[in-house]
Amino acid sequence: MISVQNLYHSYTKDQQYAVKDISFDVQKGEIFGFLGPSGAGKSTTQGILTGLLPLQKGKVVVAGYDLEKVDNKRFNKIGVSFEQSNVYGKLTARENLQFYAKLFDGPTRDPDELLKLVGLSGKEKDKAGTFSKGMKHRLTFARSMINNPELWFLDEPTTGLDPAIAANIKDIIKEQTSRGVTSFLTTHNMFIAEELCDRVAFIIDGEIKLIDTPKNLKLRYGKKLVEIEYIKEGKVEKEVLKTIDEADKKRIAEITRQYQISTMHTKEATLEEIFIQVTGRGLV
Amino acid sequence: MKLWSSYLKEMTIAGRGFYFYIEIFIALVMLIVLLVVVNENPVSKEEEIVYYDMTPFMFKVMTNKEISDGQLRMGNEKSFTLKPGDFKVINDKSGEKEHYTFDEEKVIDVKTLETLDAKTGDLIKRAYVADNREDMIRLAHQEKSRGAVIRMKEGEFAYQYYLQGYETDRLVNLLYLMHNDKSAILQTQMNRQDVRELETHKTLNARENVIPLFITFAGSLMGFFIVMAYIFLDKGEGVIRAFAVTPSSVGVYLLSKTGVILTTVLISSTLITLPVMGFKPNYPLFYLFLIITTFAFAELGLLVASFYDAFEKAFGALYLVMVILMVPAFSYIIPGFDPVFLRFFPTYPVLQGFKDILLNANDMSYVLSYSLVFLGGGLLLFWGAQRRLSRTLCSG
Repeated sequence: MISVQNLYHSYTKDQQYAVKDISFDVQKGEIFGFLGPSGAGKSTTQGILTGLLPLQKGKVVVAGYDLEKVDNKRFNKIGVSFEQSNVYGKLTARENLQFYAKLFDGPTRDPDELLKLVGLSGKEKDKAGTFSKGMKHRLTFARSMINNPELWFLDEPTTGLDPAIAANIKDIIKEQTSRGVTSFLTTHNMFIAEELCDRVAFIIDGEIKLIDTPKNLKLRYGKKLVEIEYIKEGKVEKEVLKTIDEADKKRIAEITRQYQISTMHTKEATLEEIFIQVTGRGLV
Repeated sequence: MKLWSSYLKEMTIAGRGFYFYIEIFIALVMLIVLLVVVNENPVSKEEEIVYYDMTPFMFKVMTNKEISDGQLRMGNEKSFTLKPGDFKVINDKSGEKEHYTFDEEKVIDVKTLETLDAKTGDLIKRAYVADNREDMIRLAHQEKSRGAVIRMKEGEFAYQYYLQGYETDRLVNLLYLMHNDKSAILQTQMNRQDVRELETHKTLNARENVIPLFITFAGSLMGFFIVMAYIFLDKGEGVIRAFAVTPSSVGVYLLSKTGVILTTVLISSTLITLPVMGFKPNYPLFYLFLIITTFAFAELGLLVASFYDAFEKAFGALYLVMVILMVPAFSYIIPGFDPVFLRFFPTYPVLQGFKDILLNANDMSYVLSYSLVFLGGGLLLFWGAQRRLSRTLCSG
């Protein structure tokens, strides 16, 4: 669905590249996570893929359209959910979606159905300018589905949303994926990436450091840990032990034999920990 | 279809904003001012301070004749407060100076004589009749009006004028000639002159004459300014980015904005023109010229907007263009000021074009040729704006 080969981009049109020599493919029906801290090159890459930034160097094919040839018809297959809400404040929620629906050539979704899907039922006639930040974000998210996109660009889809609504958004993304929609997810939130993505790419300083499935990354870079809380001489003690280390294995057996266990959890390395391990940088 | 729905969306947004109503409101205020305050044919009134140095009987004989001819009438008495002051009066021929000093304030009541136009009966001159020479000089100095002493000399009226000093030589000479006792000679000379008048040109009255100014600036200045404001509002809201990821083109987006400007200008111009001009102008040509010129100036606004990512950064260019667009108004208001370079300013032909249309002039070739120029220019600007904005619309 997306093919990127040797992509470069410089805002200053010189050798200072915001994105340099990146290549990757996104298969139909997968959720591809593009992960990295602020300024890593995520938004630049997404900007080029969505046509908001010009293609300077490299070969990019999106939804079957070569970006070297300008063809706006490709947007009939594409949906873009922006990180910053961008809706017409003077139009109602319904009017916003109705207007965008008319800009596409193919069949579009019912605005009211989409508003219901993102939890804005009952707000159809309210002007978007009166909405809270979260509501505007949901309206922006709903708008990105108006044209039944085959390829969906999601930029920080759950940022700033309360947990219940974020969970709802994640469910919608999963549901769309089950329909065969391909998603390109840009985020610095490793938890959502871990939960949703089939594959992830770590990008830092404009370069992709690795691409793999979260499961493989954990197998390759993760260390299985167990966190045990136990009571010793009336006091609560805590130890974190590796399940693959022989000495730690013996220690786990010893603790469970000798002491009263309060809690015991297995603890996997998170994507964030793996990211730090791979890139040597945090995600902020 | 996309253009129509974009236009409807833009009109909905404009209808819920205030820019749209500003122009309609200005048009209504302008209309009220034109209908209530501006006279169709204002007459410039002349004022002079006169002292009749003659017996009351002679004064009566002199004025009664003109009153009976219908050229003069007695007005109401008026009270003036003469302030203390110090000034000199110079004799035009001898150069001799008379020094006047007044230490006391003085209140005088004067008679008023009103001279009427022989053809229309409109008031053209008002003379305040002082009781003595000194009051006349003092009042003429204070009111910055022309003063005159009229007296009998060898059975003829003799006039002595007191001017302010800044009058032209031509006026001074005219005053010398006006009461020449050899007027019979003048009459003979006048009879020998063969004067022919050119065919009377159609002219707009004072009220109608303001309309081309309003329409030009509603279409050009406001069109230019408001379309920029709309673009920067959209940039601020970020909605352009959302528009950019739809199959709709930048051209559709720009034309929908232009459509809102055209609608606003058509409404505001009609609001002003129809009540004042009635059905006198050539309306098909009026709307054609209005649409084409507004389109051209709106596209200029779009092109200028394409160079900036925020309104505040565009202020310098905005101000410069608006001043350039306004300058031809001076030539329009002051017909004597018509330097050739002004004709190259884009609003100059627009003003003249609208004037011709409102006059329903016989020859519309000027309007039609400039319609073509503005159409060509507008399309060129649209092409440039589209190219530039396609690359820069999503920045900032």
